[in-house]
Amino acid sequence: MSLNTSLYTISAVLILDNEGSRLYANYYQNKPQAHQKDTTHVINSEFQTTAQQLKFEKSVFPKINKVHQDIVLYDNHLITYKQTNDVILIVVSKINENESLIYSVVANLFESLNILLSNTVDKSTILSKYDLVTLAVDETVDDGVLIEIDPAIIVSRVTKAPEANVKIEVNSNTLFNAFKIAQRIGDKLQQGL
Amino acid sequence: MAVFQECLQQFNKSPIDAKKCRSLLAKLLRLIYSGEVFPAQESTTLFFSISKLFQDKNQSLRQLVYLTIKELAATSDDILMVTSSIMKDIQGGDSVYKPNAIRTLSKVLDSTTVNAAERLFKNAIVDKNPILSSAALISSYNLLPIAKDVVKRFTNETLETLQSYKQFPSSQFELHEYYGNSTSNLPATSFMYQYHALGLLYHLRNYDKMALVKLITSLSEGSSLKNSLSIIQLIRYINKILVDDESLIQHLYPILAGLLKHKSDMVELEACKTLINLQHLIKDDQFMNIITTLQKLLSVPRTATRFAAIRLINKISFKHPEKIIIVNIELEGLINDPNRAISTLAITTLLKTMGAGTIDTGSTGGESVDRLITKMTSLMDEITEDFKIVIIEAIENLALKFPSKHKKLVAFLTDLLREDGSLLLKTSIVDALFDLIKFLPDASAKQLILMNLCEFIEDCEFTELSVRILHLLGDEGPHTTNPSYYIRHIYNRLVLENSIVRSSAIISLAKFASVCGGDVASNVKILLGRCLNDVDDEVRDRAALSLKFISSNQKKLIVSDSKYDLAALESKLTHYLNNEANFATKFDISEVPIITNEELKSLEYNKKVNKLDEGSTDASESASKDEGKKDTEKAGSDDVANDLLKQQEYAQELSAYPEFEAYGKLSKSTMVPVYLTEKENEFVVTVVKHFFIESKKLVLQYNITNTLPRSVLQDISVIAQPDNEDYVEDFIIPLSELKPDQTGTVYVSFSTPSIEDEELLAAFGNTVAYTNKDIIDEEGNVDERDEGYTDEYQVDDLEIVSGDFVTPLYNSNFTAIYDALPSYQSSVAHISGADTLENAVTKLKSTLNLLPLDGSDYVPSDSTSHILKLLGKDVWGGKVAVMIRLANSSGKIVAKIEAKAETENFSAIITSGAY
Repeated sequence: MSLNTSLYTISAVLILDNEGSRLYANYYQNKPQAHQKDTTHVINSEFQTTAQQLKFEKSVFPKINKVHQDIVLYDNHLITYKQTNDVILIVVSKINENESLIYSVVANLFESLNILLSNTVDKSTILSKYDLVTLAVDETVDDGVLIEIDPAIIVSRVTKAPEANVKIEVNSNTLFNAFKIAQRIGDKLQQGL
Repeated sequence: MAVFQECLQQFNKSPIDAKKCRSLLAKLLRLIYSGEVFPAQESTTLFFSISKLFQDKNQSLRQLVYLTIKELAATSDDILMVTSSIMKDIQGGDSVYKPNAIRTLSKVLDSTTVNAAERLFKNAIVDKNPILSSAALISSYNLLPIAKDVVKRFTNETLETLQSYKQFPSSQFELHEYYGNSTSNLPATSFMYQYHALGLLYHLRNYDKMALVKLITSLSEGSSLKNSLSIIQLIRYINKILVDDESLIQHLYPILAGLLKHKSDMVELEACKTLINLQHLIKDDQFMNIITTLQKLLSVPRTATRFAAIRLINKISFKHPEKIIIVNIELEGLINDPNRAISTLAITTLLKTMGAGTIDTGSTGGESVDRLITKMTSLMDEITEDFKIVIIEAIENLALKFPSKHKKLVAFLTDLLREDGSLLLKTSIVDALFDLIKFLPDASAKQLILMNLCEFIEDCEFTELSVRILHLLGDEGPHTTNPSYYIRHIYNRLVLENSIVRSSAIISLAKFASVCGGDVASNVKILLGRCLNDVDDEVRDRAALSLKFISSNQKKLIVSDSKYDLAALESKLTHYLNNEANFATKFDISEVPIITNEELKSLEYNKKVNKLDEGSTDASESASKDEGKKDTEKAGSDDVANDLLKQQEYAQELSAYPEFEAYGKLSKSTMVPVYLTEKENEFVVTVVKHFFIESKKLVLQYNITNTLPRSVLQDISVIAQPDNEDYVEDFIIPLSELKPDQTGTVYVSFSTPSIEDEELLAAFGNTVAYTNKDIIDEEGNVDERDEGYTDEYQVDDLEIVSGDFVTPLYNSNFTAIYDALPSYQSSVAHISGADTLENAVTKLKSTLNLLPLDGSDYVPSDSTSHILKLLGKDVWGGKVAVMIRLANSSGKIVAKIEAKAETENFSAIITSGAY
């Protein structure tokens, strides 16, 4: 096992649904680059093609689906994952990586998604708020290099979708809604006290 | 491609609808992340229309635009056109998307345009905003392969960032409802920029070892590194340095030891990992600190950490099981861990420590094995099969390492064999038992296992396994004390089983007849005679054939005592078939080396032991990663088989030179090239020794690599000067030219003394002579008129040692062989360069190139004396047995070496060369 002294830590971030098909898949360091002489930039030939990637996902999925063990070694990869509802978030790294570190990545990314998607991490929410998901992953890992692992910071880096340019109509209906919301907040505050 | 069309339409609209465009980009990204690859032209078109979105100022849109550009950059052409928009954003844009812009920039730049962005990067690296700084550092890191020179100029800025304190800007970029509307809940800084700065700095400085050591020392003082990830990175660099230069351990150990107690468990883990990698450098009491930390980590709630800790403990258990006996209680608790991988590792580790306990404490240790086996027996019902298989392997290994414990372990295995199970499970049990039969020295163990296997086939539903067992019975049964017992069992198969099993039973019986002879033979003949009327023609054929062989006494046709080296046979055949010209002559099977059963056994034993020591570190790690496991095992076993293949390759390479034709058959080549220079010198020289014993020739094969980027070497030869006058140089085959990064070979041939002569061993002083010419243009040409200058370069000496004349050999009964060998010689020597018994054993093993037997290469860490038993076969065909008594007296290792050999004079050579 050779030592990894480079910053390239993460091999892939995946989000699969409950049947093992892709919602999000990003394999790092497999994009062709001009000069590959430098030994610190080894191409991960194992995931070069989409077919190889899909094969990997297909073989990993049954090993982790509905087995809540957080971490597993598979085929020379260290795999950490989190499953809820109908999705699994998976972080793949090399087998000799620091297990605790990689697990932190998956746990914190999961936490970030939880915040961004208002505690409803499931397939349909992920697909409808795909921009938030992609940005969150992009603010966590860039080309296999960890950018940030604190969920609060990851979340604060992700911009919300822009407001649509619609005129705000004020009529009895919207006023009533606003009142309802205010009432709900009031209730909450009371409970809090 | 509806999304594609829609994108083009929307992006080109004016004014831009930010919300709509962002959701379209999200759709586009969904395609990309699902594995869709756009053809270059479509991608470029898309790229172009996306660049239109730079007109809109909306932050949210811009951030996603950058992500999309980043993902599309790999497949599009003309990506440079967005460079100026991106640069403008980095200089004056909103702080929200500045980091994204800078990360995208590194994807767009190439080695020619990177210079233009230099100023920008420098400013961004030292920026007060930690996120921007991080982004710039990561981008520079990604640019390393294409623009190392430019990135090198960031060194000062990177160093400055590493030591600075940066806080997030007071207003966070985006507040989500979760955090309410104040920033007080958010951390002020995460120090991630330290991690990135350190990572970059290392790559800029890693060629300068002293500077790196200085950096590490200064960073580890006080608490200048606040980020766990950066500390992990620091630990890795320390590890790297120590691997290259072990003498620095005194200086660097305190840093690592300090990190064994850290608030973050990932740091603690990394420190443990590193120290375990370097365990040969640290003292026992220092080692205990690691164990204490690991012990603590075993009980944390986080599964990943527990898993990592037990993985490390398991790793230690392969080499020093006695050191982790103190965590046995924790391990026993972990047997019932909900994570299967953890419980598997706990059991296999326990099996290891139990083994060590037995050796240390003699008879009382047996009880702990008993206890564990009872514990496992009760557990066996609850666990899944792949898990069981791992345990079976562990038990087999335990039995091999500690043959005295075999009875209990074999009983455990055979009990398991009787229970229900799939073919896979049964196969692994049978495999384990087969290996035990082969390698356990005790004859009674063999008998015990064979009897159990006989019982098993009485009631075995798997034809495949029955056939294998019958084959083994045929091989082993005749040599036992009561062959008729096995014959009865085998005959039962003839009556009761299907035709496949019947036919293999016949062959098995025939072996009994031909080996035992006498009464047994005539009885078997009667049995086989009855089979001549079998309904199946294969069975009839085999019976008739066997009867014929037995009556005509063709023992060789029934019992084989050797087989062809399959790997060599394969390569010879491919070679033969590749050229039609070869078809004129018959394929010469005699060229393929024959492996006798004895040699085959040593190969297999080697494989087994290698697997035990290295392969299984990974192999037994987890039952659920079985596929990965197979790979590592394959790699391990290939090693051994490759040795023979390698020899074939050498022989083929040498046969290409007509000069060597008269030398006859290559007797032996050294397998691993010996380095005569440092690996990073201007020339890297390695050497392989080829011995032609029959014609008394030695050919030294010097492999020379030219690592000078601007020079061509010509007329390269090697002057090898032996210190032994009996070696006479015949000729040199020089190398005409060597371009940069090329490797070439120089052969030097010597006539050698024979074994009857006084001195067989020698040392060679080596000098490489060459003509150096400078390269003048990009294509690597040299100036025609340049005559170059001749130069000489002295490299390290090469020694001919006794190990060059032997190959390791396996035999389960060392003492008998040792007693039988005639030529005896002994000497007492001081083993230099080894301070523990274990190191001395490793050293002796490799210099003598012999196979350690009876598990004598395992040294319990607290003992002060040890006996090492080594066996091998020399190139003249005789056996060599060496018994070495080692004693450790206050840090110095003294050895009494007693060598016995079949070949006269050779034992003296071994004793003289063994230190």
